[in-house]
Amino acid sequence: MKEILLDYDKCNGCMACAQACAAEHSESKTIVGAILEGVRPRIFVQSVDGKPFPIICRHCEDAPCVDACMAGAMQKDPETGVVTNEGHAEACVGCWMCIMACPYGAVDRDYRSNTALKCDRCPEREIPACVASCPNNALFYTDVNVYADARRTAEGRRLLAIG
Amino acid sequence: MRYLIIGSSAAGIKAAETLRGLDREASITVLSEENEPPYSRCLLPEYLSGKKSREELTFRAGNFFKDNNIETMLGERAVYVDPAGQEVILESGEAVGYDKLLVATGASSTCPPLPGIDKVGFTGIRNLDDADLILNRCRSGNKAVVIGGGFVGLETAYALNRRGLDVAVVELAPHILALQFDATAAEILANDMKQSGIKIYAGTATRELRPPEGLGRLGSEAENTVVLDDGTELKAHLVLTCTGTKPNVELLVGTGAEINRGIVVNEYMETTVPNIYAAGDACESTDLVSGEKGLTPIWPNAVIQGKTAAYNMAGRPRKVSPLLGLQNAVEFREVPAIAAGLSTSGPQDGLEILTVHQPTRGIYRKIVLEENVIKGMIFVGNIQNAGVIAALIRKQADVSKIKDKLLDYSFNYGYLWPGMVKKELEEMEAEAV
Amino acid sequence: MSTECVTCTQSEVCTSAHPSIQEMYSRTHDMGLDTIFDRYQAQQPQCGFGMTGVCCQLCSHGPCRISEKAPRGICGATADTIVARNMVRLAVHGTAAYTHHLEEVAETIKATARGETPYTIGDPDKLREIASVIGLDTDKETNQLADELADVILAELRKSSTEPLALVKLFAPPTRLEAWEKLGVIPGGVLSEVRDALTKSMTSINTDPVDLMLTVLKLSLAAGYMGLVGTITIQDILLGTPGIAESRSDLGIIDPDTVNIVAHGHVPLMATAVIQAAEDSELNELAREAGAEGIKVYGSMCTGQELMQRSGSSARGYAGQLGNWVTQEYIVATGAVDLVMMDMNCSTPGIKSVADQFHTKLVSVDRVVRMEGVDDHIDYSPDKAEEQARELIRMAVEAYRNRNGGVFIPQHQSDVVAGFSVESILGALGGSLDPLLDAVKEGSIRGIAAVVGCTNNRNGHDTRGLNIMKELIKNDVLVINAGCMSSASEMHGLMLPGAAEEAGEGLKAVCNALGIPPVLNFGSCVDIGRIGVAVTAIAGALGVDPSRLPVVASAPEYLEQKAVVDGVFAVGFGLLTHLGPAPPVLGSPMVTRLLTEDIEGLTGGKVLVEEDPVKAAAKMVEHIDEKRKGLGV
Repeated sequence: MKEILLDYDKCNGCMACAQACAAEHSESKTIVGAILEGVRPRIFVQSVDGKPFPIICRHCEDAPCVDACMAGAMQKDPETGVVTNEGHAEACVGCWMCIMACPYGAVDRDYRSNTALKCDRCPEREIPACVASCPNNALFYTDVNVYADARRTAEGRRLLAIG
Repeated sequence: MRYLIIGSSAAGIKAAETLRGLDREASITVLSEENEPPYSRCLLPEYLSGKKSREELTFRAGNFFKDNNIETMLGERAVYVDPAGQEVILESGEAVGYDKLLVATGASSTCPPLPGIDKVGFTGIRNLDDADLILNRCRSGNKAVVIGGGFVGLETAYALNRRGLDVAVVELAPHILALQFDATAAEILANDMKQSGIKIYAGTATRELRPPEGLGRLGSEAENTVVLDDGTELKAHLVLTCTGTKPNVELLVGTGAEINRGIVVNEYMETTVPNIYAAGDACESTDLVSGEKGLTPIWPNAVIQGKTAAYNMAGRPRKVSPLLGLQNAVEFREVPAIAAGLSTSGPQDGLEILTVHQPTRGIYRKIVLEENVIKGMIFVGNIQNAGVIAALIRKQADVSKIKDKLLDYSFNYGYLWPGMVKKELEEMEAEAV
Repeated sequence: MSTECVTCTQSEVCTSAHPSIQEMYSRTHDMGLDTIFDRYQAQQPQCGFGMTGVCCQLCSHGPCRISEKAPRGICGATADTIVARNMVRLAVHGTAAYTHHLEEVAETIKATARGETPYTIGDPDKLREIASVIGLDTDKETNQLADELADVILAELRKSSTEPLALVKLFAPPTRLEAWEKLGVIPGGVLSEVRDALTKSMTSINTDPVDLMLTVLKLSLAAGYMGLVGTITIQDILLGTPGIAESRSDLGIIDPDTVNIVAHGHVPLMATAVIQAAEDSELNELAREAGAEGIKVYGSMCTGQELMQRSGSSARGYAGQLGNWVTQEYIVATGAVDLVMMDMNCSTPGIKSVADQFHTKLVSVDRVVRMEGVDDHIDYSPDKAEEQARELIRMAVEAYRNRNGGVFIPQHQSDVVAGFSVESILGALGGSLDPLLDAVKEGSIRGIAAVVGCTNNRNGHDTRGLNIMKELIKNDVLVINAGCMSSASEMHGLMLPGAAEEAGEGLKAVCNALGIPPVLNFGSCVDIGRIGVAVTAIAGALGVDPSRLPVVASAPEYLEQKAVVDGVFAVGFGLLTHLGPAPPVLGSPMVTRLLTEDIEGLTGGKVLVEEDPVKAAAKMVEHIDEKRKGLGV
C-alpha cells in the first residue's frame, strides 16, 4: 500500500504542499480560489526551532483517531487504507476526540464546518496534491517497503535523486 | 464457536466487528435491552438540540449487523449468567448459550439523594429513552435546571439551550468540570457558556427540589422549584440530574466474578470467571497515570477494550495497554478544550506545573509533570497538537530536553524527531503503523 | 542555538537580551497582545526559497523558484541572475531611503539660511571647512554659504548617472578611488543611479549577475558617500557636531508623571524642534493644567541617537533613549507614552496594534510615512517646523488627559556616555589621533570593530550583537557602534567607562587611561558614515589603504535594506564585513562566492557569514591579526 513519505532534510518550508492541498480541497481547485473560499490545508508545515517540519497523516493501521471517534465518522477504508472523517453516512460533530488521540497532531479543526480536518490522500488524484507540488522532492508517494529498499542501496539513492 | 456480546455501544460493537474480522465462520450474537440499532450515546446532546435526527445517531452503517453476519437479540434483557452451564438467562426465561461471553453492559445514571427528588422525579440522560422523555417534558415549558456541571451536564445544558430553553446549571464543586479542569480552565469555559445565556451556579449545593404546589400542578406549564443552599429559588419545568454514573455490574453478581466498583478484569479483559470477559464502562482496568485499578469511562477506552477483548476471545492473546482513565475533549460553544491525566493537580501535590494563560484570548495551557514525565494536561482555546502531549502522557516519556518547548503554541511532533525522545517515538511509530 | 545566549544565566533562549523587554513581553503576552516575538514564532517555518534569494516574483509567470528540479525560471533566469537582481532591488531601497533623509536635511539648511526655521547653523566651522574642500567661496557669510552648500548637495543628488559624484572624488582615499575606477563603479547622481538600477532590475533588461552585483556596489558607494557621509556632514553643520555627552537609556527612565513624547525614526529635524518647543512655558503650563509635572522628549531608534549625541547642544533637554527597532511596541505597552512621533523609517504596523490597547497617540511626521489606522499627519516642513512642534506637544498633552491607568515601567536603566566622533575624539586626545594610533601599534588595542546596523529577533533581540561585542572587547578590540547596536550597548551598560572591566587587559588599560568606554557610541545608523570618516582619517594618518587596517565591520543583526547598502559599502571600502543572518544570496553559488571570496581581490573587503557569535568574533580577531602582521605591528 502506498504512503506519503517525507525526506525531512529536503524540506525547505516553502509550503507549496499546503497550498496545493488547500487548492485540491477547494471548489475552484486553484490556490487563489482556496484562499477566497477559506479552505485550510490538511498538511501542517510546522517548525522545529525554525527548521520546517511537515506533519503528515500516516493513515495508521490501527488508527487511534478511528477508535476515538464517537460519531463513527472517522473510518479507515479497508480497500485503500485511507483514514478520513468525510464521505460517510456518519457525520463528524467536531468533538475533537480525534485531535486528543492523534499522537502526530495530524488532525486539526475546520473552522468553517466545525468538523475535524485531516488528510484524505486526495481521492480524486492518483498522486496526492502535496506530493505532486513539492518542488524539492521532499515528499514521496510510494510503497514503504519499496522506499526503504531504495534507501538502503546506493542505486536506490541515485534513483531517488533524479526521481 | 459461539460468541455472545451483551451491550451494543462502543465496546460491544467494536468487539463484534473485531471478532468478525478475526473469525469469518463463528456465530456472533449481540444482545441488548435497547431495541435500537447501534447508536452513540455521546451524540444524545446533538439529538436533544435538534441538530441530529434519531437515525443520524448511529455510529455504524444501518446494515452493520447484516453485513457482518452478526445475530442480534435486541430489546432483550439478560438477568442471570450461569458460568457452569455457559448460559445467559433472559428476562423472558430463555437461555442463550455461549462459548465466550463479553459483558459490555455500560453504566447507568445515579440518582443523588436530594430532598424532594422522589416528588419531582429523577431524570438523567444516558440513553435514547431518557432523551425522548426529556424532549417530551420540554413541551411543557422552556425552563430547565441541570444539576451537575460535569461534561454530561454541560453538554446537555448546552443542547437544551440551543433548543431554545432557558437553562441554569447547578454545580456543587467550586467550579464546573471539576473532575478534569482546574479553576482557570473552567472559568474560560464557563464564560463561553454564559455567552449563550446559560446561567451557572457553581459552589452551590441543592437544598431541596419542590414539585408544583396547589393549583400550579394543574397547569400545563407546571413549574418545579430548585432551592439552592443560599436560598435562591430556580423555577424549572424540567429538572435534570447529571451527577454521575455507576457501572452495570448486576449481571455478574453471584457468578463468582470479582466486582469492585466495576467488573474487575486483567490486561486480557478477562474477568475472574473463565470464558467471561468485560469491557467498556462496566469494567475496571489499570489507569496509566495512577497505576491503580479504576473506571475508565470514556468512548476511546471502551473501543480499545472491546477490541482487545475480541482478540483474546478469539484466542489471539493481546494485552491492553494501560489507559488514561481521565481524558476528554469538548467544545460547548466555540472554545475547544482537551484535558487528560492528572490535569487538576497543582504544585501542592508535589508536581511540576507549567502554564500559559492569555485570558483575553481564552487561551490556557497547563502541563503537569512529575520528574520530567508528563502526568496531565489541559489545553483550552487552542488545541492544535494536544494529541502529541497526550501521546507523551501515554508513553510516560522523559521530556526533560524539550520541557521549555511544551507550552509553545508551535510545539509539535517534530520536536520529538531529532533524538531525545527517539526511542519512545520509534515505539510510537511501531505501534501506530 | 540555545548555547548562544550568555547575557544571562537562564538556559532557554531569551526573547530579548534586555530584562526590561522580557518583562514587557510578559505583560503584552498576558494581555493577549501579539507582539513581535509572537509574530516571529507564528511565521515559522519561513520559506527556504525566499531565504536563499531564489524566488523571483517580477512577472506574471512567477513566482519562479529555483530548485534541483527546476534550475531555471520560466524566462530562463538562473539562480545567479535572480539572486543578483533581488540584491539590486534591496540596494535601491536602501539608497533611496538614505537619499530622502539627505534631501530633508539639505532643504532644511536652505530654509534655515532664509531664517524660516527654528534652527541656526550649528557648526559654522565645519561648514567653512567642507565648503572649502568643495571649492565654494568661503568668504561669504554663514547663511549664504550654507545655502550654496545645500544647493551643491541637491545638485549632486539630481545630476546624471554619467557625471561622477564629487563627494566620492573629494572624500575617498586615493587608493580606494583607484580600485573603484578599475571596476567602473564610481557612481553618478544618486537619483539617476536609483533610476538606472531600477531599470536594470526589471524583467528581462539586465540579467547578467556580474553586472547586477557591480550595480549593487555602485549604489552602495552612492549611498555611502551621499546618504551616509553627506548626510552626517550637513546634519552636523545644521544641528552641530556631536560632543561627548552623558545620558540615560532603557525603559526605566520613563517618568510616569510627565507628558511623554517619543521621537522615533531616523531624521532628527522635527524631534529637535519638539525638544526646543518643550522648553516653552506656555506649553508647560498646559501640561500642568492636564495634571502632568512637565513635558519630556525621549528617543527611540536612530532619531534618539541623534538627539543623544547632541544633547549638549541643539537637543538640550533630551530625556534619554528608550530602545531600538524591536522595542518600539514594548515602549508603547508601558502605558506611559502619550505620543510617538514617527519620522522616516522603521515604524512597524505592530506599534499601531499595541497603541490601540492604550491611550498612546501615533503621529507621522514625514510625508512618506503612513500607517493604516494612523490619521494624524504633521508632515515636517522646515518653514513650519516651529508651529508643527508646538502642535505635536499640544496633541501629546491631550493624549495625556486620556491616560487610562495600567502603567507599567520596568525598573531597568543604564547611564550612557555618547557623542563620539572624529572631532570629539580629537578634542579629547588633544588634537591628534596619535595616542590612539600608538595604542593600536603597540597592541594594547588589537584592532577596531565597527559593530553597527540593525537589531532583529532571529537569535534573540540584541543577544547576538552583545555577545559578539563582549567577545571582541575581551580580545582587546575596540568596538564602535552606530545604529540599533548603539541602543543594545547603551541598555546593557557597555557604553560606560566602567565597562572596561569586561575588556582584555590591553584595552582596559587604554580605556582607563583615557576615561573612555570599550564600546564607543558613534550614534545612529547614518553615523556609519562617521565611522567611514574615522577609518579614512586613520588610514590617512598611517598612509595606507583602509583594506590594510586592523579594522573590521559587523552587522550582527542586520535587518533591512539600508543595512544592505551599508554592508556592501563597508566591503567596497575594503573591510571584512560580518553579517549575522545570511543575506538572501545563498541560493546563488556565484553571488555567494563573489561576496565571501572573490570580491576580496577586487576591493580588499569581503563578507563573513557566521551565525555563531563566538566563532564570528574569533574570525574577526584572526583577520585583525593578519592585518597587523601585514602592517608589521
